[in-house]
Amino acid sequence: MNGATNIVRRGTPDKWRFPTPFGWRTVLVAIVAMAILLRTGADVDIGRAIVQSGEGVAAGAGLVEDSQVARGFGAILGQMFPPQLAEVTETARIADFDPDRLPLFAHVETQVVTVQSLDPETMRMVARTTQREVLVEPLGYVVQVAAKLIETLEIALWGTLLAVLMGAPLAFFGARNLSPHWLLVTLSRAVVSLLRAVPELISALFFVLAYGFGPAAGVLALALHAAGFLGKFYAEDIENADRGPQEALRAIGANRLKLLRYAILPQVLPQYVAYTLYILDRNVRMATVIGLVGAGGIGLELKGRYDLYQYAHVGTILIAIYLLVLALDQLSSWFRRRWI
Amino acid sequence: MSLIFEKVGKRYPDGTIALTDISFEVPRGQFCVVLGRSGAGKSTLLKCVNGLAVPSEGRVSVDGVSVTPRTLAKLRPQVGMIHQSFNLVPRASVATNVIAGALPAVSTPRAILGLFPKALREKACALIAEVGLDEEHLTRRAAALSGGQQQRVGVARAFMLDPPYVLADEPVASLDPQTSIDILALLEREAKERGAAVLCSLHQIDLAMRFADRIVALRDGRLVFDGPPDALADGRIRHIYGSPRLETSISRQAVGA
Repeated sequence: MNGATNIVRRGTPDKWRFPTPFGWRTVLVAIVAMAILLRTGADVDIGRAIVQSGEGVAAGAGLVEDSQVARGFGAILGQMFPPQLAEVTETARIADFDPDRLPLFAHVETQVVTVQSLDPETMRMVARTTQREVLVEPLGYVVQVAAKLIETLEIALWGTLLAVLMGAPLAFFGARNLSPHWLLVTLSRAVVSLLRAVPELISALFFVLAYGFGPAAGVLALALHAAGFLGKFYAEDIENADRGPQEALRAIGANRLKLLRYAILPQVLPQYVAYTLYILDRNVRMATVIGLVGAGGIGLELKGRYDLYQYAHVGTILIAIYLLVLALDQLSSWFRRRWI
Repeated sequence: MSLIFEKVGKRYPDGTIALTDISFEVPRGQFCVVLGRSGAGKSTLLKCVNGLAVPSEGRVSVDGVSVTPRTLAKLRPQVGMIHQSFNLVPRASVATNVIAGALPAVSTPRAILGLFPKALREKACALIAEVGLDEEHLTRRAAALSGGQQQRVGVARAFMLDPPYVLADEPVASLDPQTSIDILALLEREAKERGAAVLCSLHQIDLAMRFADRIVALRDGRLVFDGPPDALADGRIRHIYGSPRLETSISRQAVGA
């Protein structure tokens, strides 16, 4: 009310300049951004990526005869589909094979295999036909993949659990308004940054060396990286939480832990659940990758099949991973609706 | 047995002087209103009692114990506080918000698990009933309550430990006139029942006149009046509130606008 008199009036409102949405500074920023994009674009070969993608699309639409991208994808996709569902094993290679006691839904087939070979006497190619008996389990490979998928999920779950257990104390000591000492803030922030700086795939390499092949290495690799992520985000939420309730409880003499439990946690909990679900989602995806270096899960299977050029198997695995991520998405959005 | 301010001065690091040479004593059982304009130093004065602000000069003592970082842990549970913006945890239930007022009396592990002794749980229920809420409110989130109801929860929380002193920092500043009267009446009743002193900052003169046993007025960080409400004549009010133009708005407020 009395503040109004302090405003120095220059001219009537019809002479005022209304703030414009952009001016010469915006233009300058746009020019600089354009220059940066042009320079960096050349470095990463973005032009070629765009041209080849365009060719690929054109080839797909039948406008162009040939395209490197279309050929590359076509070759792989052609071999991936249809995906491998059955597991076919030569009965001769199964120890104690008993034709009268087959696994569920399985049957025995006789395959005729024609092998071209060189006859050393006549020096001619000869087609030799052999018969072999195979055991066909119609969904055998799907079951195998499902088992690997469950292992992957378990790795992700434990990686997330350990990440929460490590991230929570890191956040407590790393939040300026709760930490007992500023040195602890610096220290825990340094640890958090270090954890985040090391990608899962890299730390998994080392954990495989230290702990041997298998899921344990994977769990630890996922947990450490995610702990860095959670430690940072949990701490930021603690710092940004409304100070009012904290002041109210501090005023009557509640200590830091009580403050955390009663003034801060109720405020940040929904956000924490969201972060943790994101980490679970991320860990599932990463758990499929770290298998590539031997840290357990479906990645190991994927790498093995890829190296054997069994692309139909690879197709099955990729579809399975996609379905898992999709299912997890549904689960976490249900969880959010229900609990947040 | 009283709350004593001795030559208290407060200067913030940025050079702002919030309080200058404040001395007065509030005996137990007294409802003492601190009156003054926004920025007069009322909040800072209150915060000096429980260490949320630290005086740069002079000292504050509670029942003979001066307020220092070392004595704070012991003193704070004896000084309840009610806040202008209620400062409840919006997502927590009324029950949790009220019983949080007893946190200093519970060990940390028990507090973290939420295992409050039966006596405290019963006390919380009794207080919630006293401030005019029902059992159905226990599980309701604080954010779901009206402003007046939220401040009732604030009052209940402040009295969980039966503190001999209660600070109320503009407790009704964001409430409508009738609710303001209800809340102050509630605060007065709860305090008188326990023989507790209340140090309540207000900017509404009519409310101060109605509830105060005694009025202490601040202007620009200095004590400009200390006495019973009856002694607060018009000239004094002008002195407290400064410019005559503002005074008209104050008297309009006093009528109950």
